[in-house]
Amino acid sequence: MAPAPRATGPLRRWFTGGGAAALAFSLPMILAFGFFSWWPILNSLILSFQQTNLVDPAVWVGLSNFAAVFADPLVAKAAMNTLWFTVLSVAVGFPLPILLAVAIGELRRTRSIASGFAYLPVIIPPVVSVLIFKQFYDPSSTGLLNTLLAGVGLGPVPWLQTAATVMPSIVIQATWAGFGAATIIYIAALAAVSPELYEAAELDGASIRSRIWHVTLPQMRSVMLIMLLLQIIGAFQVFTEPFVMTRGGPENNTLTILMLIYNYTFISGDYGRAAALSLILAAILALVSLLYLRATRGWSQGK
Amino acid sequence: MKKRARSLGAVILVTGLVALAGCSAAESGGDDDGSVTITIGNLPSTEQAASRDAILAQIKAFQKKYPDITVEAEETYWDPATFNAMVAGGTMPTVLTVPMTEIQSLGQRGQIADISAEVEASETLSALNPTIMTTVTGPEDEIFGVPINVYSQGLMFNRAIFEEAGLDPDAPPTTWAEVASAAKTITDKTGVPGLVLMTSGNLGGWTLTGMTYAFGDLMETSEDGTPVANVDNDSAIAALEFIQDARWKDNSLGANFIMTSDDSRNEFGAGRAGIVISGTDLYGDSVVNRGMDPQDFGLAPMPQAEGGLGALGGGNVQVVSATASAEQRDAATKWIDFAQIARFTDEDQAVAAAKAESADGLPVGAPGLPLVGADLFAQYNEWIAPYVNVPTENFELYASTVETIPLVPEPSQHAQELYAALDPVVQAVLTREDADIRALLGDVQTQMETLLAD
Repeated sequence: MAPAPRATGPLRRWFTGGGAAALAFSLPMILAFGFFSWWPILNSLILSFQQTNLVDPAVWVGLSNFAAVFADPLVAKAAMNTLWFTVLSVAVGFPLPILLAVAIGELRRTRSIASGFAYLPVIIPPVVSVLIFKQFYDPSSTGLLNTLLAGVGLGPVPWLQTAATVMPSIVIQATWAGFGAATIIYIAALAAVSPELYEAAELDGASIRSRIWHVTLPQMRSVMLIMLLLQIIGAFQVFTEPFVMTRGGPENNTLTILMLIYNYTFISGDYGRAAALSLILAAILALVSLLYLRATRGWSQGK
Repeated sequence: MKKRARSLGAVILVTGLVALAGCSAAESGGDDDGSVTITIGNLPSTEQAASRDAILAQIKAFQKKYPDITVEAEETYWDPATFNAMVAGGTMPTVLTVPMTEIQSLGQRGQIADISAEVEASETLSALNPTIMTTVTGPEDEIFGVPINVYSQGLMFNRAIFEEAGLDPDAPPTTWAEVASAAKTITDKTGVPGLVLMTSGNLGGWTLTGMTYAFGDLMETSEDGTPVANVDNDSAIAALEFIQDARWKDNSLGANFIMTSDDSRNEFGAGRAGIVISGTDLYGDSVVNRGMDPQDFGLAPMPQAEGGLGALGGGNVQVVSATASAEQRDAATKWIDFAQIARFTDEDQAVAAAKAESADGLPVGAPGLPLVGADLFAQYNEWIAPYVNVPTENFELYASTVETIPLVPEPSQHAQELYAALDPVVQAVLTREDADIRALLGDVQTQMETLLAD
């Protein structure tokens, strides 16, 4: 393990500066990540140009997996569905946790209880909460939600049964299951806002609304921007909810990109095509993130 | 906000495992001294102690008979989500039980072994019911496995609900018109959906394919050995029109039209469905897993319209790993023969298996099709008669038609993709009153033509 004796310059400085020790300490993590993350990612990149049955050696097929993806009429459908889910879930799921966090932030004695309740749905395993909602969404007039609606003279709503209602129904569930985690992050961000700013605003006679508008929101700007990006990326990768709740139905109206990848793999056994579509999705997400970060760079730095 | 899906990871993981496959797949089961080791899946867990012990005892007896073969049992089961990783990692057991509906795609993909040579060399296996063997025979006469239990698609109905609706459970519907009227009567009289159809997870397509057979057409025909898509046939239209009328005229199909297999089993097991179209294996699941009263379980053959082709077959098949060596394939086939088929010619084995299943509370004598000739099957039924724990008198109609209604295999190519493409068609007819049946089937026809042309 001795360093090359004649090594001078940057390498020597790196070694004497503790670089080797740092490397040794991070080696287990690098190996674990390399083996379980980067190596599979590299392999799926390779697989998207191959055809394999996982038994015999894979065959190189050039771009034919990508051609197969673009020839599949379901890809456009799945892309539109995914986009629609993203729009809906961000429209509802982005502002909700912010409003809730601000409201909880205004509380004094019950703040920790309230944030506990907000976080509660996150504790329930995703599949379980999806299955619970699937029960709630029983379309008959005796279904749970429809019984409640009947009490106020509404319904019965077909929930998961029609093209128009199915995606909003899934978004309601997804938002319910996920808003708690975002709320907690916003509450933490709120706690970091310096109290002097509020005091100054109060002295200037600012109302609650203008305090929120001129102090709270600008102070949380960078957190909000990152949360929005994460939500968009997460929404693009929606799988569990439509898979468990509707299997993509009715009439493929909740078939998402990730479900299509799943179907390619587990129904068609076409691993190459699944890898190709995964790669396309990853590329799109990378591009979206890049553009987003570019576009908001100035704003998030408060300039 | 969204719970991040793991599927992308799953795909990536599977691909990662491809690399690992290289290491373990090369493993050889044969030794120089002629001894060979095979692993077998589907060992019952300790929950089913008697069945587990019975298999372990069978292994001992088998190894006594074949001292050169070592059998290692493991609790590995078929699961579509883990099977790929198992294949890629080379950890698939030499012998595994797989649903019949998966056999053709696994075989044609080369993920399981062609054991035609071994089956033909075996006296007992080559004598299995030829109709049943067609379901596991590939397009080039490969044999992809050995069926170990077989059933046909039929009408499962709730006898208690039939009685409540004033219908005679001993005279279940035998035509589609009678199915429609029974479903309507049940809905009107009891409020329970008369007929519950599976619509998702490929089961909508599976159901529609079976109904199409019963109305008289195949979804895939064959021209000079090449499969031809035949999705937009008159029988499929008739079957969908039957569904359309039951849904929009009679309103006897309930309100939930996103029905996976599990959903429909829950509804049926809980007494919230009059009739379901399913495989007869539903008996075990409804009674053992979902607590249905065995006396309530009714069973009728799939009604055949004029010119009906027969009933879609289903069941379980034992397959051999694609990476098994020639010696392992031979040993595996011997094992399947010994453990699954010999019971039809060996009284001790038949009794031991039935005894263990009955001790574990599993159904003995549940309805199914005979794997072997009628004489052998009758003899076998006599042997296990003391352990039969299902109300066989309720299955008489089904049992008496087993010989007369032919078993029609699933489409031989891309059956799962066909089913996946037909799910939305069934859903459309159930959820949109203006669904255009011909246009919907035409779309699937085009998709299948493209798939089959590849």
